[in-house]
Amino acid sequence: MSWADLSTIAPLAAAIIVAGLVIVTDIALPGKRVPALVVAFIGLAVVAILTIVVGAKPETAFGGAYKVDDLTTYLDLLFVAIIAVTLMFAPDYLEARDLPLPEFAAVLIFALSGAMLISASADLLVLFLGLELMVLPGYLLAGFAKRDALSTEGAIKYFLLGSFSSAIFLFGLAFIWGLTGTTRIDGVATALKAIASGTDPLSPGLAMGLAFLTTGVAFKIAAVPFHYWTPDAYQGSPTPVTGYLSVVPKVGAFALILRLFVGALGPISADWDIVIVLLAAATMTLGNLVALTQDSVKRMLAYSSIAHTGYMLIGLAAWSSPNSRIEGLEGLLFYGAAYAAMNLGAFGVIAALQRRTGISSQLESFAGLGRREPFLAILMTLFLLSLTGIPPTVGFFAKAYIILAAVQAGGPAGILAVIAVLNAAAAAFYYLRVVVYMFMRDPKGEPAQIVIGRLMRTGLVITAVLTVVLGLVPGLLLTLVGNAARALTL
Amino acid sequence: MSIANVPLISLITFVPFIGALVVACLPRSQPGAIKITALIFALVSFGLSLLLLIGFNPTNPAFQYQEVHDWIPVFGIQYKVGVDGLSVLLVVLTTTLSWISILASFRPIKERLKEYMISFLILEVGLIGVFVALDLFLFYIFWEVVLVPMYLIIGIWGGSNRIYATIKFVLYTLVGSLLMLVAILATGFSYQSTTGSWVGAFDFVNLQHFAATTGFASNLQIFAFLAFFLAFAIKVPMFPFHTWLPDAHVEAPTAGSVMLAAILLKLGAYGFIRFALPLFPAAAKAFGPPIIGLSLIAIIYGAIVALVQPDWKKLIAYSSVTHMGFVTLGIFIFQEQGLQGAILQMVNHGLITGGLFLLVGVMYERTHDRTIAKFGGLAGRVPVYTATFGFFVFASVGLPGLSGFVGEFLVLLGSFAYNPAVAAIATSCMILAAGYLLFMFQRIFTGDLSDFLRGLGNHLTDISPIEMLTVVPLATMIVLFGLFPGLILHTIQGTVSNVLTELNHVAAIHVFFWQ
Repeated sequence: MSWADLSTIAPLAAAIIVAGLVIVTDIALPGKRVPALVVAFIGLAVVAILTIVVGAKPETAFGGAYKVDDLTTYLDLLFVAIIAVTLMFAPDYLEARDLPLPEFAAVLIFALSGAMLISASADLLVLFLGLELMVLPGYLLAGFAKRDALSTEGAIKYFLLGSFSSAIFLFGLAFIWGLTGTTRIDGVATALKAIASGTDPLSPGLAMGLAFLTTGVAFKIAAVPFHYWTPDAYQGSPTPVTGYLSVVPKVGAFALILRLFVGALGPISADWDIVIVLLAAATMTLGNLVALTQDSVKRMLAYSSIAHTGYMLIGLAAWSSPNSRIEGLEGLLFYGAAYAAMNLGAFGVIAALQRRTGISSQLESFAGLGRREPFLAILMTLFLLSLTGIPPTVGFFAKAYIILAAVQAGGPAGILAVIAVLNAAAAAFYYLRVVVYMFMRDPKGEPAQIVIGRLMRTGLVITAVLTVVLGLVPGLLLTLVGNAARALTL
Repeated sequence: MSIANVPLISLITFVPFIGALVVACLPRSQPGAIKITALIFALVSFGLSLLLLIGFNPTNPAFQYQEVHDWIPVFGIQYKVGVDGLSVLLVVLTTTLSWISILASFRPIKERLKEYMISFLILEVGLIGVFVALDLFLFYIFWEVVLVPMYLIIGIWGGSNRIYATIKFVLYTLVGSLLMLVAILATGFSYQSTTGSWVGAFDFVNLQHFAATTGFASNLQIFAFLAFFLAFAIKVPMFPFHTWLPDAHVEAPTAGSVMLAAILLKLGAYGFIRFALPLFPAAAKAFGPPIIGLSLIAIIYGAIVALVQPDWKKLIAYSSVTHMGFVTLGIFIFQEQGLQGAILQMVNHGLITGGLFLLVGVMYERTHDRTIAKFGGLAGRVPVYTATFGFFVFASVGLPGLSGFVGEFLVLLGSFAYNPAVAAIATSCMILAAGYLLFMFQRIFTGDLSDFLRGLGNHLTDISPIEMLTVVPLATMIVLFGLFPGLILHTIQGTVSNVLTELNHVAAIHVFFWQ
């Protein structure tokens, strides 16, 4: 280890230190919420600045196990932003339920460090380490409302299936290591290239490895048929956590896919791309169809997030065709950011509504919201329109980008483009159903006004502005996304 | 900055948007201010569009008043707008009916007035945008922008079955338009892969030139044409994609029905003429005959179903299916008179059906019922209203001297040149049209005053001056274009010859066994 190594991992180290500082602040000033929150926000700002500074030039550290490139920078900034917004949504919700905020913040930032480790890993073991570091805090967060049976149930399901899939994933890594003799991603790629250039069919060992790895990550991104943990975990978790769970672990797992499938297994993509196509088609179709039947908005958004996983997988499917290498990755990365903004926003609105305890996320409780809470209702409409993919929102541009990549790729991915738009039309039904309840039905009884805290309001406005501005001027993000995609294909 | 440098089209398009923002800032407690502000902004946009019409040079076949700005340069996507004869007419039609609709909403809309006016102004932005966009991506965005306000207008201020109607409307439209998005992207990519550059890949003028010289590959033409066709056919709506229309029309508030009939239905026909034919001429020719068949079915089916409708509004909604059948028939016979007639018919249908819906709304305000059977003998009680309604009915039937006649006549002339049998079928339907409209008129206005109407007593007043103000401009134009159709034909000559020259150059792709 050298000083250069340390400076390369500075953002990651900073994240871990910030998490520690939040805990220390809580111990020093027990029962106070504001200081811990201030430390967390300042710390996140520092992490973001360090990420930009370190990311200015590509670097590897620890003998090539850790790599900082434009993809790392892009993903890290995205993760920091998501965590910051989640922290804005949390205080109101947690306070109303007497749940501790400082612990929440600390656990959240630990998860951040895991996601950051994934995005910077150049070694399969580091990748696995990052994955575990990211998901373990997630289990804690899912069960954060420990006196709530649903929350506990969701957390246990999430934990069991999560650990199970991690084990499967690790098993797959072992196969790859055994066949290639290395855990370095570039080393694996070189070794596999030699295998792929031969005419032999895939060896049974490699096929097993691929199958285990695909299954493992499919669990993590909640692709159909490995999605069963999602609805329960999402519905049971405290709402700000659900927002977080629907975004960070998913985008983080996609970061892992980019490093692993594109980086290490890229040379044998001809052997796994059709699986991705099938996963994508099944995931978006089933996610949307089941979402159609949900009466709880939280659960509906859980299934819709499964559908969005399917859309993102199209980007990966497009990557595996030589026509659209860059576009597929760009589409996937852009979609990740767009999805984060709109989905966090949608969960943010639900969290704001649930500031008063006892309000469920049933559709009924949205009735007449347009009259009661015009601010929340209009924002929710915006997020839902974006999730549907109606211009001029970011959700539209993200979908258009993915579809463009798929059309460019042609072949099976081209068919995915048509499946995707038909799905988007079906999805319009359940997204707009919420709008129907908010604006076209009258409320039952006269619920009291909801007071929205300043921090929460800021978070909602930020996500809303991003949803609109990135839709109108996607160029702002496209440069970053383009650099990140090229960093991976170099 | 001289007059020539003013971005006139952008102003026309976005003045209503500014209006929506201003309305959003007004206090809810001031309904008068909200109404007047919305009306003023719509009128400003209308005034500017008249300037556009005056400054438009019909002898120049190119797009005029163009504005180009890079938007997403990576893919050559631009903010590019401009007008030719077809779009300038439709823009003026949109701005005219927008202020009329806003004026017509003053009395009926009492709930959530602010949101209503905002929705209406945004709707106007989207509609104008569709007609002026010269970039396929931009066009698609405006196309979808139209959807949301209309969804809200039907869903919030509509009748009893409004939620069903609005969701049906949205889902139908979305299925078509999303497939069109795939087709747009595929077209852009096809251009990019042929020329090696994204520059101008979504620029309509550029793509039109490409289609006329190099031409798109047959496979792409077939796929893209079918996707565009589906999107446009649902919007027109053509048989068998029309089933959303009666629901949406009946449930929408009066002004919503007016915009729906007068402008939204034109989006589809406009899309055919502007995009589907010039970009994919060979595929268009291949699919022409089946589409003519569907148009004939729409003409006859619409008329027959209209005959038996018990509801005023639904009857007029089905008459739209018939009239729009004439439009698609005129477009797909690929013949000069036909296309001229189709465009005339688009404008006329906007004026006439818009007027009819406004008048139905006037009566609904007084009776809160639209069941034809409950009416009778209105002529004696509300003579001015009766005369006005009669005027629009005769315009719709196609009385010579009023504009409805010229459009249908030209389409029939064109279809006779194409195939006498087609013309014969279409003509027979004009008799049906006279039948259902005059039958309706007779049932509602003649005879003794019905018990239902007598029960209303003094509520049954004649049309008020403000209501008259909403239909007089339409009536004036109907007479004007009926007597001087050359006004429109002169304006659209560039568009018509551009579209047809290109179509005449290409041979149809062999899609069907009989070709």
